[in-house]
Amino acid sequence: MHEEEILEKLKDSILQFDEEGASELSKEAVAAGIDPLKAVDDGLVKGLDIIGEKYENDEIFLPELMMAANTFQTAMQVLEPKIMEMGKERTKKGIVVFGTVKGDIHKIGKDIVTLLLKTSGFEVNDLGEDVDLFTFIETAKKVNADAIGLSALLTSTLSGQKDVIDTLTQDGIREKFIVMVGGGATTPEWAETIGADLYAENAQVAVRKLTQMLKNRRKK
Amino acid sequence: MLSFYEVIDRAVTGQLMSDQDFYLKHYVPKLQKVIQKYKIKYNPDTPLPSDDALADTVFDAAVEFFSEAGAYCPDTSRVLRFSKEEILQAAREAPPEATFGEGPDRMVMKSRKPDDHSEPWYHLGGGIYTTSEEIFMSVIEGLANIRKANSLSIPTSIRIKGKDARVRSPQEVLATIKSVTMAREACRRAGRPGLPILNGISTATGPISMFAASHPQFGLRPSDGFLVDSLAEMVVDFEALDKVAFYTSIGANIGSTSTPLYGGYNGGSEGNLIATVVYNLLGILVFRGTYHYNAPLHTKLRVSSTRPLLWIIAVANQALHRNAPYPTVNLPYLGGGPGTDCYYYEMAAYHACVVTSGGNILSGHPSVAVEPDTLIPLDHVLNVEAAEAASALTRKEANPVVLKFLEKYESQLKDPPKGYTYQQCYDVESGALINKEYVKNADRIRAALKECGLPVEKSA
Repeated sequence: MHEEEILEKLKDSILQFDEEGASELSKEAVAAGIDPLKAVDDGLVKGLDIIGEKYENDEIFLPELMMAANTFQTAMQVLEPKIMEMGKERTKKGIVVFGTVKGDIHKIGKDIVTLLLKTSGFEVNDLGEDVDLFTFIETAKKVNADAIGLSALLTSTLSGQKDVIDTLTQDGIREKFIVMVGGGATTPEWAETIGADLYAENAQVAVRKLTQMLKNRRKK
Repeated sequence: MLSFYEVIDRAVTGQLMSDQDFYLKHYVPKLQKVIQKYKIKYNPDTPLPSDDALADTVFDAAVEFFSEAGAYCPDTSRVLRFSKEEILQAAREAPPEATFGEGPDRMVMKSRKPDDHSEPWYHLGGGIYTTSEEIFMSVIEGLANIRKANSLSIPTSIRIKGKDARVRSPQEVLATIKSVTMAREACRRAGRPGLPILNGISTATGPISMFAASHPQFGLRPSDGFLVDSLAEMVVDFEALDKVAFYTSIGANIGSTSTPLYGGYNGGSEGNLIATVVYNLLGILVFRGTYHYNAPLHTKLRVSSTRPLLWIIAVANQALHRNAPYPTVNLPYLGGGPGTDCYYYEMAAYHACVVTSGGNILSGHPSVAVEPDTLIPLDHVLNVEAAEAASALTRKEANPVVLKFLEKYESQLKDPPKGYTYQQCYDVESGALINKEYVKNADRIRAALKECGLPVEKSA
């Protein structure tokens, strides 16, 4: 197969959620001498971009997002070591630590945001639900995160978002991380009150706003 | 029906599985399989179908899917499975009616039938509104004063001693007790002390606050209703089962509750339709409910009034009331704020779908950004009027009316208008309606609904 054909098929493997095919095609790309970074960016990521558009248009939903992300991960198990061997690194949009705050066990909204972040090129550390505030902060420090995402569905768990911001401020590391908040109970007014950097009413907005904010930060 | 002891035993003996495997390898593929097997297909041209065969097929698909997928208990990482026979037996033995309230307000909520011209049960209010302490009682009194109100959903009041109560804190226990006590007192002030409160204890987020506020000293009774919800999707945790254990032990009405998420693990229209029906079966069998709250929701728009969600709530109610006569209360989350045309058209479309399909109504909740103090009694009068008018129509007659309503609001759902607060419409001290512009608009919208084909009559 020619390079273009392999890249096209890598894109298609994402669109068809074909984990086995993605793995085989990745091996084929390596064997054909295609730059593994090119295989990722011009093959797999193109597929992920289409997945993102389809999700935005209600053509696909959470299960398909998960399957696309899994297909991408399977291909990366082949391509990532090759990229490292070349002494290169895949450009990430950023590193995000994400979870539902303490006391809140709601899961799906958080799952959708983390998957959309992943499929649009972020490295995401999904901490799950009912997450202790120090777990957010320690993980963010450990992975050198660019952003911390705090989800809360209930009005009575909103304070969990404020606690994280207050602790970051108290520890003198508030400016180190972009803090974004979202979830059913949050509003732009609440985000402003607690000093969050970014409020997102849904997953796509979260991805868009965070991408833009990181771009702006890096320009400075 | 399978005993509750057997049900909870399955939560500790079922197949072990991670939640990721439950959804990706188990739940989602099985859901896709039944959608294809039963050839269920959403039709945007008919948001309110009158196809009994479709309704029965959906019911069969739901039973099959529930028997294959089961529910997930995160506390034990196990799958609770039930056979088709056990599910069908529960459907046959579903309580067809539930008795609520005391004295003159003691009434029976029924499972209605599609195209049944009986009036639905009018359940008014909403638990998602956070409401300031100073207007809390006036708002509830305003709702209790609505003559046709059969039951109330009381708003949330998490303020205690000037501060917000945190989740599962002692402050939450006290705020919960306070809100229940005040709600009952407000009903008494309206001359309806026996009016049932069906959302149990909206301020409580966990069983401790809920059980504490259920003490008879604070005014709730077994003839009220107590909500037990499963988390999306099909999660049955110990907290929910704890509530079932307690409320069945005191002989109280349990309202099983579900919010299938459009765009989540159920995917789109067809998957959420099946899930909506399955949650009702779960409510009968696992949560031992006497009524069910349906609240399918769009994950991105945070509303229940999109065209696909109208189709879901209509067909799900038809499937249930034709095959498992379990009373349903259907909760519209709406984009438009209180007093906006968007809100009124959305709620009218939703109620038209629900009422003609055999369901009972809960008045509309503005939900895109849940603003505090936005529970406005006159809006809920209009909800009653719209639902009563819908009961005069058949599904076939109501479908074109729903299409006209959709034309009015569908394009606004991505950026819906904000509305009024209680304080902008009512005098806080006397509870009198003082905003003339708001009242005039309500009259105009009544005429507009009528012009679209919903025979609304002014009641207050």
